[in-house]
Amino acid sequence: MRATTRIVSRDMLALTVLLLALGLLGPDGAVAQSQSFPHGTVRLVAETSGVQTAHNFTLALHFSLEDGWHTYWVNPGDSGEPPRVTWALPAGITAGPIEWPVPEKLGTSSIVDYGYRREVTPLVPLHAAATLPAQEPLTIRAEVRLLVCKDVCIPGKTQVTLTLPAGAQTPVLDQAQLGLFASARARLPQAAPGNWIFRAREESDSFVLSARTGKRVTQAYFYPLEESQIQNAAPQVTVSEATGFELTLRKSDQLAKPVARLKGVLLLAGDRAYVLDIPVSGSSKGA
Amino acid sequence: MKRTTFSSIIVAAALLAAPLVLLATKVGDSAPNFSATGSDGKTYRLSDYRGRFVVLEWHNNGCPYTRKHYDSGNMQRLQKEWTEKGVAWFTVISSAPGTQGYVTADQESAYKQKMQAVPTAILLDSGGEVGHLYDAKTTPQMVVINPQGTIIYDGAIDDHPTSDSGDIPQSKNYVDLALREATSGKPVSTPTSRPYGCSVKYAGH
Repeated sequence: MRATTRIVSRDMLALTVLLLALGLLGPDGAVAQSQSFPHGTVRLVAETSGVQTAHNFTLALHFSLEDGWHTYWVNPGDSGEPPRVTWALPAGITAGPIEWPVPEKLGTSSIVDYGYRREVTPLVPLHAAATLPAQEPLTIRAEVRLLVCKDVCIPGKTQVTLTLPAGAQTPVLDQAQLGLFASARARLPQAAPGNWIFRAREESDSFVLSARTGKRVTQAYFYPLEESQIQNAAPQVTVSEATGFELTLRKSDQLAKPVARLKGVLLLAGDRAYVLDIPVSGSSKGA
Repeated sequence: MKRTTFSSIIVAAALLAAPLVLLATKVGDSAPNFSATGSDGKTYRLSDYRGRFVVLEWHNNGCPYTRKHYDSGNMQRLQKEWTEKGVAWFTVISSAPGTQGYVTADQESAYKQKMQAVPTAILLDSGGEVGHLYDAKTTPQMVVINPQGTIIYDGAIDDHPTSDSGDIPQSKNYVDLALREATSGKPVSTPTSRPYGCSVKYAGH
């Protein structure tokens, strides 16, 4: 009997080690299975060992793409389609808008897209209500639809699932996922420092964004959150100034209505990225 | 030496690319004339169609967004309805040789028959001249030109930028709408939209 038990435990231990090695098992048994779509995989990952009632928590959608393939940002640019995530959440759990990392400029000289290659890990803020129905553990599901492209494009669709214990106790950080969450956060655009001043004005065929950052900025690039505001393939011209910069963005030919605000991500000197959401004032000619 | 040559190529490419963006045609502009060979071997000139409404449809038979509108029969229905009403409909294939959607004249004729497509002609634009002239970015991108030769619509086929044919019944078809409005003397209510789909597979990328 004793021998049998030992064999079973050894097998269980081997299985646990294997699952941990595959990243499929969190410390308290959070199960995150990788699901495939054409030329990539996606998994839903928890930052902590479980969900605490009346608290916020964060999940990651970790996408891996085969070499040479890419998928898209919220604004895909000139071609492509943004990923769409539809949640199926247990009672008492609510999800906020997905936080997408700073995209890359992809495509060619005449067709410019915004997206991601290799890996991308958008984060999802969620909240657990003070009382959760007694349906423990919680199972969180998301249907993911996305377009992956290389020289050709293939639509993909899959469902990811994550099961987590829930309760009043404080969950612990999953040590195995610290790196994933840290690098995901490092790739999110940040709020600009409070003393920076941004202004945007409309010219006849362009928007001019001027920024006072207190120091010289040599290179800026604006990723528009909304489609059809600017010509994605037109060069963005940075004029470097002692205390900031001025960036000229060519208006889109598909401007259906006046642009009241410029919203998007501003990448400075190729590394720091900031969230931008500012009103656009009328032409300087009238001012 | 090699490095110098390479940078010169980049500069030259940048100079060549810039005018494509700056000279992009817009709604309200005069539609630039072109001459292209059809899959039927005939030569088609846009200027010969002055006096008629003209539709340009960028096409790639492997693109999921093009297939959405062909496998469902949506594109063929539009082609049939509007060519019967006297509209000239040109399907334009700007895929370069070796890229997705490139076809020989024979392959395209077989495809046209299989899909029961009924455009006025299918233009084989493997050099991308017509595509670049109109700054076509996606398949299917659609352009509508009025009998005076002015571009009155440029953009997507409809308001559902997906590859799912299940979306077609609840979609607002911008091409159909533009033609309906323009042929009854009304201004086009949606003259432009973001074209959606696969990128046009031009040569040299």
